[in-house]
Amino acid sequence: MGATLEIRFHGRGGQGAVVASELLAQAAFLDGKMPQSFPFFGVERRGAPVTAYTRIDDHPIGIRTSITTPDIVVVLESSLLRTQPVTDGLREDGLLLVNTRNPAEELMIPVPVRRAVVDANQIAVAHGLGSPTMPIVNTAVLGALVGASGVVSLKALDQAIDEFVPARRAENRAAAEDGYHAVHVVEANTPFTPPVPQAVGPTLSLPEGPVATLSSELIHTSAWRTLRPVIHLEKCTRCNFCWKFCPDDAFTFDEKGYPVVRAEYCKGCGICAVECPPRVIEMVEEA
Amino acid sequence: MTLKVMSGNYAQSYAACLARVQVISAYPITPQTSIVEKLADLVASGELPAQFVKVESEHSAMQVCVSASALGARTYTATSSQGLLLMHELLHWAAGMRAPVVMGVVNRSVAPPWSLGADHADTMSQRDTGWIQFYAESNQEVLDTVLQAYRLAEDPAIRLPAMVSEDAFYLSHTLEPVEVPDQSLVDSFLPARDARAVLVPGVAARLGSFTGPQQYVEFRREVAKAMERVPEALRQIEKDYQSLTGRFHGGPVEYYRAGDAEAVLVTMGTMTTTARTVVDEMRAEGHRVGLAKLRLFRPFPATEIRELARRTDRIGVVDRSFTFGAAGAAATEVAAALYSGPHHPVLSNFIVGIGGREVTPNHIHAMFDRLLAGKGPEVQWMDLPLPPEEVAHG
Amino acid sequence: MAKLTIPAPELMRAGHSACPGCAPALAMRLMLKGLGPRTVVSVPACCWTVIDTPYPTTALGVAMLDNPIESTGASISGLRAAADALGIQDLNILGFAGDGGTADIGLQALSGMLERRTDAIYAMYDNEAYMNTGVQRSGSTPLGAWTTTTPVEDGARGKAEPKKDIMGIVLAHRPVYAATVNPSFPEDFVRKVEKARVLRGPRFFHIFAPCPPGWRYASDRTIEIGKRATDCGIFPLYEVEEGRYHVTRKGGALRPVSEYFQAQGRFSHLGPEDVARVQAQVTADWERLLRLENGT
Ligand SMILES: Cc1ncc(C[n+]2csc(CCOP(=O)(O)OP(=O)(O)O)c2C)c(N)n1
Ligand code: SF4
Ligand code: SF4
Ligand code: SF4
Repeated sequence: MGATLEIRFHGRGGQGAVVASELLAQAAFLDGKMPQSFPFFGVERRGAPVTAYTRIDDHPIGIRTSITTPDIVVVLESSLLRTQPVTDGLREDGLLLVNTRNPAEELMIPVPVRRAVVDANQIAVAHGLGSPTMPIVNTAVLGALVGASGVVSLKALDQAIDEFVPARRAENRAAAEDGYHAVHVVEANTPFTPPVPQAVGPTLSLPEGPVATLSSELIHTSAWRTLRPVIHLEKCTRCNFCWKFCPDDAFTFDEKGYPVVRAEYCKGCGICAVECPPRVIEMVEEA
Repeated sequence: MTLKVMSGNYAQSYAACLARVQVISAYPITPQTSIVEKLADLVASGELPAQFVKVESEHSAMQVCVSASALGARTYTATSSQGLLLMHELLHWAAGMRAPVVMGVVNRSVAPPWSLGADHADTMSQRDTGWIQFYAESNQEVLDTVLQAYRLAEDPAIRLPAMVSEDAFYLSHTLEPVEVPDQSLVDSFLPARDARAVLVPGVAARLGSFTGPQQYVEFRREVAKAMERVPEALRQIEKDYQSLTGRFHGGPVEYYRAGDAEAVLVTMGTMTTTARTVVDEMRAEGHRVGLAKLRLFRPFPATEIRELARRTDRIGVVDRSFTFGAAGAAATEVAAALYSGPHHPVLSNFIVGIGGREVTPNHIHAMFDRLLAGKGPEVQWMDLPLPPEEVAHG
Repeated sequence: MAKLTIPAPELMRAGHSACPGCAPALAMRLMLKGLGPRTVVSVPACCWTVIDTPYPTTALGVAMLDNPIESTGASISGLRAAADALGIQDLNILGFAGDGGTADIGLQALSGMLERRTDAIYAMYDNEAYMNTGVQRSGSTPLGAWTTTTPVEDGARGKAEPKKDIMGIVLAHRPVYAATVNPSFPEDFVRKVEKARVLRGPRFFHIFAPCPPGWRYASDRTIEIGKRATDCGIFPLYEVEEGRYHVTRKGGALRPVSEYFQAQGRFSHLGPEDVARVQAQVTADWERLLRLENGT
C-alpha cells in the first residue's frame, strides 16, 4: 500500500454511500489523520449507482482526482457487483468489502483479493434504520470496514457517528458496533471473471451543437432495482392497471394481452404490485 | 439604393427589416426604444411580415429569440445597459445552443448612479458569452454591419449569435445620411436562413441537453473553433457586400493612415470619427500618427494587432469603459495579443468618454502628444485632473 | 385484453433517469399521450433536465428544448412565434416545468406568456419543493412540510408558511383553459389534455406530482398518495374553461387529511392541532370551489 490509503465506496442513491465516505473521513481525523472525502458529482437519483471516495494519510492530501487504484473497495449492495465495474483498479494487496447475505467464498469477482462480507441490511433493519426495502446500511458497513481493515479505530467511528449523523445516533452507533463484530473476512482466492457490462451505450462524433438524438432505451436501468415484480399470470385479469401506472414505461403486452415486464428498464418501484387490483404482482428480491 | 437621413436606431430597424427577420422580441430601455418602436410600426403596417413578441423583460426577449431560433426562425432584438445585463444568462444559452440571433445594442452606462450616456461597460461585461461583437462608428456602418452580422452568424461553419453595438446618442439619436440598399440587393447578399440542425416538429431530438465533463469540453471547443473562423468569414462577407454596395468597413480592424505611423491610437465606435479629423490635422503639421479602429471585439483581432505592432512603436489604446481592478478592456486584450508576438511597442491605455462624456479633438490631441512624448503611466484617465507628477511630465 | 382507457402510444421512453416511483415521470408520460407526436417541449432546469438522460440520448419521442429555470413562459412564446412565422401548423407547444421554476423564479415569464395570450400549454408539475437540488422549500411547499431548508428541530416545525396558490395566480390572467390533474387519475388527466390540445390560446395545467425521496415515503405508494390527496380535498380535480369551473371528481364526502399526512415522512412531526388547522382550511377551500362551480 502506498503512503495514502485510498478507499472507494459504491452504493446507490439513498443508501448513504456519500455519507459513509464522509463519516470515515471524520473518524480518521479524530484518529489524528489528514483525510479527504468527496463524491463523484453526477446526477444521482434514488436507486442509481453512486460512487464516493475517501483518502487517509498522515500528511495533508495533495491530490484532487477520483480514486482509480483503490486499496479498499466498499460495496454497499451486492447487486452492484453484477452491474458496475466495482473492482476496477483494486490493488492486488487490497480488500473488497461487500454488504451481502452470501458467504465471502461465493462472491463472484474478477480479482484475487482479500474479501470481506457483512449482512448490513439485516443489521440496519434490526436497528430500524431505513425501511426493509430501502435499509440505510452505511453505518453498519462502516463498522464492518473497521472490523475488517482497521483503517480507523472503532472509537473514532463511534464518535464520528455521534457527532455528525443528524438523526437516530444511538441506533447508528449500535449498527456500527454490530457490523464491526459481524464482518467475515477470507483470504484471496482464484478469480471469477464475469463480463462487466458497459454503463452507457454508444458515443457519437459530436455535432457542433448540443443536439441529442439517440433513444434513452439504450440505457438499461435494471441495475437500479433491488426488488423485481413477478406477475402471477394465472390470476391476472388483464386490466392494464400495472401498465397504466408504471412511471418507467416498463410494461409491454404479450400476444394474448397479458402484461410483460421489460426487465431491462424496470426500477422495481413496486407501484404495479400495489396498484394491481387482484394483487397478483409480487415484488421479489433480486437474486 | 436610396439615401435617407436617419438615426442609428432607425438604421438598426431598417437593417432588421431588410434582413427579413421573422421573429422580433424586445423590451424598452432608453436609448434603444426607437429601434423597437420603428420595428413595431413596420410590422403593424405590414411592411415587415414578422412576429413581434412583446415581452415583460429583456430576459424574456432573449429567451424568445433563442427558442424561436431553435425552430429555425431568423430573429432580432435590441437592448442597452441594464437590459443587456439582465440578459446575461441567456447570452450564454444563445451561444451554447448555436443560435444565430442578431442583437442591436446601444452602448450605455451602467447604474448606479443612473446615467444615460455612451459607455462600453454593458457590452464589455458580455465579452465571455460566446457572442460575436461588432462596434460601429456611423449609422451607415450600423446598417451595413447588421446585414453582415446575419450572414456571419448564420454561416454553417460559424452559427453563433452576434451583437452590433452603437454608442448611445452619438449614434442612436444622431441623424445623418445613410444609403439604404434595395431589398433585391439585400436578398441576393443574404439568403433565407439555412435552418439545418435545429428542432424539427415530429422528430425526437433534444437541443441543449446535459453532459459530463467529457462531452462538455468538446462542445465548448466547438464554440471556440467557430469563433476562430469568424475573421476569415467576415473578410469574405465584406468582399461580397462591397461588390454589391461599393462599401467597405475594413474587416475586423480598419486602419487609418497607420501604415507609416509613429504613434497609433486603437479606437472603437464613434470616437473614431473625431480621431480621424485630428489625425488629418496632425499629419498636416508633420506628425506621423494614425488609427486602428476595432470593428470586431469578439473574436478579438489579435493577428491584426500584431501586424500593427510590426509597423508602429507606440500604441495607445482608447477605452470607453474600465475593468475595475485591471485596466480598460481593449487595452488588456491588445497587451495579451502582443505578448506572444515579436514586436513590443510602447503601450498606453487612455480611459475616456465614460458615461457619455464627450471625446473631443483636444482629448485625441493630448493622447497623441503623450504617446509621442514617451512612455507615460500605463493607464491614464483623460478627463480627470492629472496628478502633479503627470502634469510635470505631460 | 381489456380496452385501454388511455392512449397506447408511448412518447416518453423507458431508460430515463427518474427515481423509482417518480410521479413527474409518469406525468410526462400521460401528458404526451394526450398531446401526440407533433409536440415541442420546452423544459427548464428541474428534475426533468436530468430525467431526460445525458447527451447523446433523450427520453422523449418528441422534440425537446432546454431553457434556463426562469424563462419557460418566454421560451414557449418564442417557439409559437417561430412556428407562426415559418408557417408550421398543427404544432403543440408545451412548457413542462417544476413548481420552483414556475411559481417562484419563473413566475414573471409565466405571467408574461399568459398575458400576451401565447397559444401554448404550460404545465407545472408540483412536487412541492426544489427536488433537483435536493429537496429545498419552494413557494409551493405546503405548510408544515419538512424540507432541507425548513428543518424539523426543537424550535422549528417544517415550513411555516402556506403554499402559494398557483391556480389562483394563473386564473387571474383569464387563460382559455386551466385544470388540475393527478397521475393517480390517468383517464381524467389525459381527457383534460386532449381537450386542451384543440383549444387556442394560453392553457395551464397544475399537475400533482409526488416524489418518494422528497416526500419521504416508499416508492410503491406514489399512486396511493395521489389518490388520497384528491380524495381528502388537498388536491381537488377541476377545470376552468373561459372562467367556468367544473369539478371533475367528487367522491362523496371528503376523507380526512390525516390519511394523506400519515403516508408521508415529511409530515410525520405534525401534531393533531397542526392537522386540524390544515383540515379546516381544506374544507373551506373545497366549499369555496363548489360555490365557484355553482356560480354562487
Ligand atoms: C438561475 C438558476 N438558479 C438556480 C438553479 C439551480 N436549480 C436547478 S434545478 C432547481 C430546482 C428546480 O425546482 P423545481 O422547479 O421545483 O423542479 P424540481 O427540481 O422539483 O423538479 C434549481 C434551484 C438554476 N439552474 N438556475
Ligand atoms: S416495479 Fe415499478 S418500474 Fe417496475 S414494472 Fe412495476 S411499476 Fe414499472
Ligand atoms: S394490474 Fe394486475 S391484473 Fe391488471 S393486468 Fe396488471 S397484473 Fe394483470
Ligand atoms: S427527486 Fe423526485 S421528482 Fe426528482 S426524479 Fe426523483 S422522484 Fe422524481
